[in-house]
Amino acid sequence: MAGSFAFAALGSGADALASTARTRVRYWNLFSGGDGYNMIAMLDAFRGAHPDIAVKDSTLQWGNPFYTKLAMAAAGNRAPDLGVMHIGRVAGFAPGRLLDPWDVGLLAEYGLRESDYSPALWRRGVIGDRLYALPLDVHVQLCFYRKDVLRKAGLLGGDDRIVPVTSVDDWFGVLKEAKKATAKGLQTIGLWINDQNFQWWFFVAFYTQLGGTWFSDDKTEVTFDTDRAVQVLEFLRRHVTEGYADPAMGSVNAEQFVNGAPFAWEGNWSVPVYSGAKLDYGAIPLPPVFGRPATHAESHAFVLPHQADRGGATDEAAHRLAAYVVTHARQWAAGGHIPAHRPTLSTPAYRALTPQNEYVSAMDHQANEPKVWFAGSTGVLAQRIGPIVVSSTVGSAKPGAAARRMRSELGTLLAMRNPMDGETAARAGRAA
Amino acid sequence: MTTAETVLAPARTEPATARAVFRGGQRFQHGGWFVAPFLTLFAVFVIWPLVRGVHLSLTDANITGTGERFIGLDNYREALRDPLMWDALGHSAYFTLLAVPCITVLAFLLAMLAHHVERGQWLWRLCFFMPFLLPSTVAGNLWQWLFNPGTGMVNHVFGLQTPWLTDASYAMPAIVIETLWWTVGFSFLLYLAALQSIPAHLYEAAKLDGAGAWQRTVHITLPMLRTITGLVVALQILASLQVFDQAVVMMDFGPGPENSTRTFVQYTLEEGFTSYRVGYASAISVIFFVIIAAVALARMWLLRNRTEEAAR
Amino acid sequence: MTTAVPAQSRRAWTPGQIVLTLLATAVSAVFLAPLAWGLFTSLKSETEAVAVPAHWLPKRWTGQAWKALLDTGNITDWFINSLVVSVCVTSVVLLVSALAGYGFARTEFRGKGVLMGLVMSGLMVSPAVLGVPLFTTVQQLGMVDTYWGMILPQCAPAAMVYILYKFFQGIPRELEEAAFIDGAGRWRVFFTIVVPLSRPSLAAVGIFTFIASWNNFLWPYMVTNNPDLMTMPNGIATVMNSYGIQWAQLMAGGLMAGLPLIVVFVFFQRQIVAGVAHTGLAGQ
Repeated sequence: MAGSFAFAALGSGADALASTARTRVRYWNLFSGGDGYNMIAMLDAFRGAHPDIAVKDSTLQWGNPFYTKLAMAAAGNRAPDLGVMHIGRVAGFAPGRLLDPWDVGLLAEYGLRESDYSPALWRRGVIGDRLYALPLDVHVQLCFYRKDVLRKAGLLGGDDRIVPVTSVDDWFGVLKEAKKATAKGLQTIGLWINDQNFQWWFFVAFYTQLGGTWFSDDKTEVTFDTDRAVQVLEFLRRHVTEGYADPAMGSVNAEQFVNGAPFAWEGNWSVPVYSGAKLDYGAIPLPPVFGRPATHAESHAFVLPHQADRGGATDEAAHRLAAYVVTHARQWAAGGHIPAHRPTLSTPAYRALTPQNEYVSAMDHQANEPKVWFAGSTGVLAQRIGPIVVSSTVGSAKPGAAARRMRSELGTLLAMRNPMDGETAARAGRAA
Repeated sequence: MTTAETVLAPARTEPATARAVFRGGQRFQHGGWFVAPFLTLFAVFVIWPLVRGVHLSLTDANITGTGERFIGLDNYREALRDPLMWDALGHSAYFTLLAVPCITVLAFLLAMLAHHVERGQWLWRLCFFMPFLLPSTVAGNLWQWLFNPGTGMVNHVFGLQTPWLTDASYAMPAIVIETLWWTVGFSFLLYLAALQSIPAHLYEAAKLDGAGAWQRTVHITLPMLRTITGLVVALQILASLQVFDQAVVMMDFGPGPENSTRTFVQYTLEEGFTSYRVGYASAISVIFFVIIAAVALARMWLLRNRTEEAAR
Repeated sequence: MTTAVPAQSRRAWTPGQIVLTLLATAVSAVFLAPLAWGLFTSLKSETEAVAVPAHWLPKRWTGQAWKALLDTGNITDWFINSLVVSVCVTSVVLLVSALAGYGFARTEFRGKGVLMGLVMSGLMVSPAVLGVPLFTTVQQLGMVDTYWGMILPQCAPAAMVYILYKFFQGIPRELEEAAFIDGAGRWRVFFTIVVPLSRPSLAAVGIFTFIASWNNFLWPYMVTNNPDLMTMPNGIATVMNSYGIQWAQLMAGGLMAGLPLIVVFVFFQRQIVAGVAHTGLAGQ
């Protein structure tokens, strides 16, 4: 089986597979593992409901190679009919040149409307005044906690959930109690102190809680506030200096949590892992220690890679498929993601999911990266700023110095041209 | 590897004699056909990328392969002022500096051991060489697991709490340890083959002269291994400067703690495929090529000098 | 320490030999320990694998990780892909570099000197050095995410041509001349006389190429990201690694990728050792 497929691919990849008389939609996604399993189940349901549409899905490995390939295909006019991207990367993906806009009327015809979305999330997909990214989900950074450990520490409320935390002092009080109940050889909290992506995501979350901003609206000036940044950096650093996060365990949060460490800050994609390990645990959005709730959020979004002759039955089928998957995303929630389709969130089936029902509020309190070409999941912004956050958290740089470096790096990035279209963030904003 | 001159020297003198032996020129026209298949592949996948790399390095090309503009030497000017590039070069050099002496010395010692133990030589050979048969990524994953601070073998066996892969001062040495385990078998085999090819009569003669084991090692074995040591060191330097696989796998494709393990190859790929800056990535690739070529040429030059010395 | 021991006393357990044998055993244990740790990990449950304190032997032995690997992942696809790619690369490399080595060693054609110099300069080029431009080349050829794209760029190894060139130069001309006098052409001489004579060298080149290709990560990593098309080293490093903390499965997958060559090595040790040493030594 595999062999014969392999030889079919010898020609020019999976695209060479023979087409049929039916409308054929080529769909590239980046979901493997549990997400891949859920996506395929949703596609199979779609195939059952629409036998006249043949869906040819290709799963590509997540990460930069995926974007590379999608960009190349779009530029070479060999693009698939439908694709998936992280919404933060859309601004850098030359919308209008490498991406085609969605036909909102057509989506409505297939049962998906702007009103089904949280307004902020919908706006993230809009560049200029056209919709380029159709969000499928929101995936967020969560505070996972072990109920068995917290129960011993007296930190669970009557609803069997963690006691509310609304300030920095609250939070460290909770950690102090939890530490007493933690078994030997385990840290109290895992927060990926050496990981540039996680540290960057946590920074974005707490910086947003403090109401911090990044750039002026016209993207010509850096408005990054070093005082607020220092507050966040000191907060992150304090977990290490007070002995709650063990520098030696920076890379093994999940292992430690499975073994009984009371807390782990992780993406919601860890839900299937911990549920699979049959842990007694819960998960809330990152605690609102600076008052206003906000946690880092990204979204998987459907996009229409640029095709010179986009339109017709294939394009309609692509719209129909995307609308179907977005509106039937209950299955998708099993991967820990929060479905972007709000009506799904209020269904009894979704409300019964644990711990998903505990963090669904994160949908309305998103901390997003700025909407500039260099932002987005594993993009240039995270790559440049993430290590600076790490250097402060692990203690090799003072928070003040790190904040100033972040600010100057942001200035550099603002002056940089997007290699895709040769425009700076400011010029791209004016054009749009 | 050799100098072009030594390779070409016989070719220049050959036609006259060859023609005399094989009567008539028509047979030699086939020569082109013998080399044509290889040269076609070579032209497309080696020469053309080289030419294209130099060309791209003078443009602001992005990953889409369209709309590139000629920008002269701007990329090179930027590269020389790019601290990340110098860091990456430094990391590759640091790795090389740590790895090459370790591998060379250990390979020699292992070869001496395997050569002198009389029993079970196949077993020692198997054990020392086996890691080399693993794919780089498998070896990398394995050691990432062994270096795992809480549950890994290394800390368990030595009773340590060392944050091997998350502390900037341990990360590169950890990668070197992994590389040592994984690749020493190759150099070990080269040394073993060289040891076995030393004529036994040299040792017997020395023995008759009353030389002890230590003296025989110092005065016969080591001098006889000079050539192979030069080869091992050269191969290791070239391979180590190009280190990539194990470093990215052990660091989950990241740049390591505080960017301490981002190697040069990794940086070129990041610039090309993360930042989409194919033009700039090509420029730093060309710089890298020049460095590698300089090392290779330096070795040839040394080798030729030594050969000339020997001839004198 | 002894070096050249008289034949009759080879089997004697002198004190020196006892010490050396013990030393060799200890060093071998150090070399095998990591593999053993990986093997034992693969036989634990995922939860036990990450349990503290760490321990060598599984408290409960289970083949669960191996079973899950075979049931759910793409690992069988990857295995076949690795096999297809390595076999194709090895065959093509053997054919084209033997022809080219012979062409350079024993035939004449215009521009031979220049071309040989060019091939020698190719020794310094590798996907690690010029990955980005090589990628754009393969992209222009429309070969990204195809078998061709993985295979062909691995098929122009200047080093192998050089090794065979050196070897062919060493074959006595008299053997060929006799055949020419009998009226045989260049091609017939090559296939009926030269190739059979060079079997050990060709085997060495073939073995070395196969190992290198089976284990190659960087190039397949750059040129494929369709998991159905990935080779073992690439799939394990990218797809499996992204599933989260499944160390038992990751170790099982790694062993599965490594085992074929290890088994082959056990059976063909002599030839492989000779092959690696030969190709390595020929580099001087």
